[in-house]
Parts: sequence; structure tokens; C-alpha cells
Amino acid sequence: MKTRYSERPPLEAPGRLSTARSTGTDRAGAIRLLYRLQALVALLGIIVLAIILSPRAADGSNIFLEAGNLTDILRQVSVTGIIAVAMTFVILTAGIDLSVGSTLALGTSVVAIGLTRWSVPLGDVGRISLAIIAALAAGAAVGALNGAVVAGASIQPFVVTLATMIGVRGLAKWLTDNANIDIGFGQDVAAVFAAFISRKVVVIGSLLVMAAVFWLVLDVTVFGRYVRAVGDNERVARYTGLPIARVKIWVYTLSGLLSGLAGVIYAAENHQGNPNAGVAYELDAIAAVVIGGTSLMGGKGSVSGTVVGTLILGILTNVLRLNNVDSNVEMMVKAVIILLAVAVMSRRKSE
Amino acid sequence: MANRTLALLLGTQFLLLTACHSSAPGPESDQKQLFVAFSQCNNAEPYRAAQNALMTELWAQYPDVKLVIADAGQDDNKQIAQVETFIREKPDLLIVAPNERAPLTAVMGQAVQSGIPVICLERDILEPNYTTYISADNRDIGRMAGQFIVDYLSKKYGRPQGNVVQIKGLLGVEAEIARNDGAHDVFARYPGIKIVNDAVADWIQAKAKDRMTEALRANPHIDVVYAHNDPMAIGAYLAAHDLGREKEMIFVGVDGLGGPNGGIKKVMDGILAATFVYPLCVDKAVEVGNRILRDRNFKPDKVYTLHSTMITQQNAAEAYGQFTFTN
Repeated sequence: MKTRYSERPPLEAPGRLSTARSTGTDRAGAIRLLYRLQALVALLGIIVLAIILSPRAADGSNIFLEAGNLTDILRQVSVTGIIAVAMTFVILTAGIDLSVGSTLALGTSVVAIGLTRWSVPLGDVGRISLAIIAALAAGAAVGALNGAVVAGASIQPFVVTLATMIGVRGLAKWLTDNANIDIGFGQDVAAVFAAFISRKVVVIGSLLVMAAVFWLVLDVTVFGRYVRAVGDNERVARYTGLPIARVKIWVYTLSGLLSGLAGVIYAAENHQGNPNAGVAYELDAIAAVVIGGTSLMGGKGSVSGTVVGTLILGILTNVLRLNNVDSNVEMMVKAVIILLAVAVMSRRKSE
Repeated sequence: MANRTLALLLGTQFLLLTACHSSAPGPESDQKQLFVAFSQCNNAEPYRAAQNALMTELWAQYPDVKLVIADAGQDDNKQIAQVETFIREKPDLLIVAPNERAPLTAVMGQAVQSGIPVICLERDILEPNYTTYISADNRDIGRMAGQFIVDYLSKKYGRPQGNVVQIKGLLGVEAEIARNDGAHDVFARYPGIKIVNDAVADWIQAKAKDRMTEALRANPHIDVVYAHNDPMAIGAYLAAHDLGREKEMIFVGVDGLGGPNGGIKKVMDGILAATFVYPLCVDKAVEVGNRILRDRNFKPDKVYTLHSTMITQQNAAEAYGQFTFTN
């Protein structure tokens, strides 16, 4: 393995975030560490602020630090967090996926239809599994379509996923007749599904598992290196013979797959299949990825950064809400934070 | 690089401190502050803006009550998160106007379980996860509208007969179904009354104007337009006015909001023959909520159903004064 790589010309310029540890010098390693730490330092800063600004309960305890509140925050960021984790890969290839919100809506609709309208001679577990797999498959199919068109027709990802965003939304609405499919609180299979999947443990666990898996794939596997290489410099990557089309199809398929998963969780938490769900979720996901240090130009970034970015946004929102800040002011504060974060990160690039 | 991060941190800190302190209450008082949290589903609707204005005005009567209104902008997930955060703050009273039935059911159950009194306002949820539910009787509104129309037609023709155009809101919403069924409870008794056109305009004035134009072209003689909310009734009037036929028929709506843009003014101006006040439910909520705050032993009814008032030319001027609030 090592021999194969040493035959290829170096794919990254020195000083850039590099996973090829064999090419790292001391300086590159230190810079890489500082980079990773930058987002983390910002996160720690926000946590400290949150603790200071948190109101106190009647018994004097700090409300922000209550276990219930902290797990609330994790639960609240899980759906967009899952989407953001896969979006990291897409952005690392210098692409973008605007269709994630619509794919989430498709996911919620498919799982709700599967649970309430299909009569399959399986037990509860079987029917729930089938509905979930159908939703994941639908998401992956949308993603694969995105990837195929981006790779095959050489149309810009922005345009391709913009079209899918519109088309998939229409598909979700058509499948459900533009109505919500309520999932009740009784004993039927749909209610069992919702009761189980909506538990905090399952929701937060899904985010953590997906983050861990994608983190590993990016940093340890060959595929992960290909993803960075394609985004860093596609022309050079092509000359060195990397399977660019396959990489692209895979990253978009994964994005669609995780959007479908996010849709399954959304359906359980909201007790409904909703073809109008997820509007503008792509923006929250992209914001999290960008705050975490991933560059929209591709090649530079990490899943850990995305997780940190997601947490920063979640804690920020929580601090503002605990202080009863008007939700419109909340949006303006978030906007300024995003700009500040990106301004700071991009200064690094020119140094 | 350290400078940049420092700049980011200081900038964030400054922002947060400004934002948090600008909305913090004034100096602490000796008496215990009661905290009332209101989760509103969508400030953008005129009906809900009116609810917020009245809510603020009524709670302001009690100096020891701090009211906080959160706007979920018609987003279920946002409203769930806002209610969750309110639960952490342990309010003395939580009022929720749920955006949708299924998504809000579980989190309101959490609120009830943590011992917070919960008032469910105007829209219901799938399970009775509240201390009390205050709503308006839409079916009754439909019946009153139906009866008004029957009385009008009886006076016009000597017996209950005539052509009615019905304009509906979003199908599948409880209010829509009830307003439709209520009127039909009444119409069913009089075979002489015919619904000549059943149009759907999604509560929107512009759509109602288009649907009414089609109805006017298809029907040479219309006696009554029954629209399930005031904006649609106004849209229908505009369509008839464009074709010079507005004197041929009367227009009936539902909502009866005050203020210069509301239905009551339109009745005063002679555009609508009648409207039915769709209660904001807020005065009852504040009345019941205040008792819950002060009296630990008070057990409110599980459901309070409020009735509507009919507004016609006779009582419109008086009603206008009663139902118009300034912010």
C-alpha cells in the first residue's frame, strides 16, 4: 500500500489540511492541529458564555447545565446534524447538495406510507424495518440520481440539486396527496415505530454513530482520501487516475441516504409523514459544515469540524431561547455568527 | 491566527450579551415574579397577531406576571424546541397554540408530566396532554351562519329558497370541516335552498376572487355567498363588484376581527351582510390561567368551548369598539 502511494505525485500543497500523514512535516502537523482546534476553541468559548448567561432555576442551579437541557440540545440538532455529516463529504468534493430538505420530506412520507398503508404479513419489527429501508432506499436513489447527473452530464452540482430539490418535493407531495399522514399514540405498528425511534437515546445515538462512521471513512479509508483529492484539485486527481465519477456518485448517494435517515427520525419525532417538511434544512446543514471549517471550494475540512459547527449553532440557539430573546433577533445573531466564523476561517487560507 | 480566533470570540460574546440583556426584564422586584410562557404557532396570521396583542394587554393588568411570547413561524420543529426550552425554564403557566396536532402532542405531554399547568389554545392535539383546552365551536358558527342565511332568504322570497355559493378554506382543517357541516345541518331541512357552487380558496382573498368570478359566469342568479372566512368573503364581493352584480346578493363571512382591515368594519361599510366573531379564546385563557396561578386548589374544566357572536349592521358599530385593540 505504501509503495503505491509513493508512486503518485503529492496531491496536497504543504500547509494544507492533510490526511497523508507520511507527507506531514512538523509545521504542517502543527498547523493542521491548530486548524482543528480553532473550531473547538470557538465551541468552548460559546459553552462558557452559555453557562455565564444561563438563567437560574428556583433552587439556584444553572439551567443550561441541566442534563435534560444538554440532551435537549443534542436532540434538537440531530436531524440537521445527520444531514450535515453527509453534506461535509459533498462539499469536500467542491460540490453542494441543495436537495437534502426535499429528500428528508420524501423520507418522512415514504416511512409514514409504509407504516400506515402497506399491509404486509410480517410482525411489527418486520413492518417497521421494511418501512425504514424503503425510506432509506428512496433517499439513496435521489442521491444516486444527483451523483449520476453531476458526474455524467457535467452540470454544476448547484443546478442539478436545485432541480432535484424542486422535483423531489413534488414527488413527496404527489405520493401523499399533499396531506400529512398522522402517526397516532396507540398500539398500531406506526405508533410503536414512533415511540421507539423518537427516544432521545435513539435520536442522539444515530447522530453520534453516523458522525463516527463518516469520520472514520474520511480519515482512514482510501475512499476518504479520494473525496478530498477530488475537491482539492479535480484536474490533477483525474490525471492521477482517481475514479472521479464513482467518488461523486457515492458522495451524493450517501447524502441522499442520510437525508432519508433524517426523514425517518423526523417522522418519528413529529408523529407524522410530512411532504412539506425540511424546507431550508439544506441551509442549516451548510452553515454547520462551513462554521466547522470546511471550505466550499473543496478539499479542506473535516467531519469533526462539522460536528463542532452543529453544536455551536445548537448551543447558540439554546442560550438565546433560555434568555427569551425574540426569535427574529435569534436569526440575526445567527447570521452574524456565521459570517464571523467564515471570515475568521478564510483568513487562515491566505496565511 | 490567535488574533482572529480572539476576534471571533469577542465578537460573539458582545453579540450574545447585547441580545440577551436587551430582552431581559427590568430590575428585580421584591414580590415573586410569575412567569407565563406562550408558544404561538405563527405570528404572521392576522388572527394570531390579534391573539398576541390581547394576550399582552390582559396579562399586563397583573404587575407580578412576566409574559414571554415565542413565535414558531409555522415550523413544527421550532415550536417543539421552543416548548422544550420553556419546560427547562419551569414557567408557572404554559400556554400553547399548537401549529399541528401530531407533532406537538408528545412535548406537551412532557410539560404536563413535569408539573407545569398547560393551556392548549384554540387548536387541539391528538391526546389530551393539557390541563385545559380552550376552543371555539366552529360547528356552532356554521349553524348560526346557516340559520342567518335561511332567515334572510325567507324574508326575501316569503319562503326558504334560493341559490347559495359556498367558498371554503383549506380542506382537512378542523375549522373548515366544522363550518361546512354546521351550515349543512341547517340547510338539510330546506330543500329549496341550493348550493349552486362549492369553491375552494384556501382562506385566501385573491383565490376567492377568482373562484367567485367563475361562479358568477356559471350562475345567472345568486342570492347568498357563504365564505368560511372574511378575506374570502371580501374577495367574492370584489369579484361581484367587478361584474356589477354585487347588489344582487349578500356576503357572509367568519372571523369578525376588529380594526380597519377586519370583518366588523366591512359589515359597518355594508360590504358584508354578516360575519361571525371567531373568538380569540385569549380572554378565557387569561381568566382561567390567572386562577391557576393564584389558586393552587383550582381545578379547571378539561375543555372550555366558546361561542361566537353574530355581527350584523345592527351591532357592528358597538362590536367594532369592543373588538378593536391597540398594541
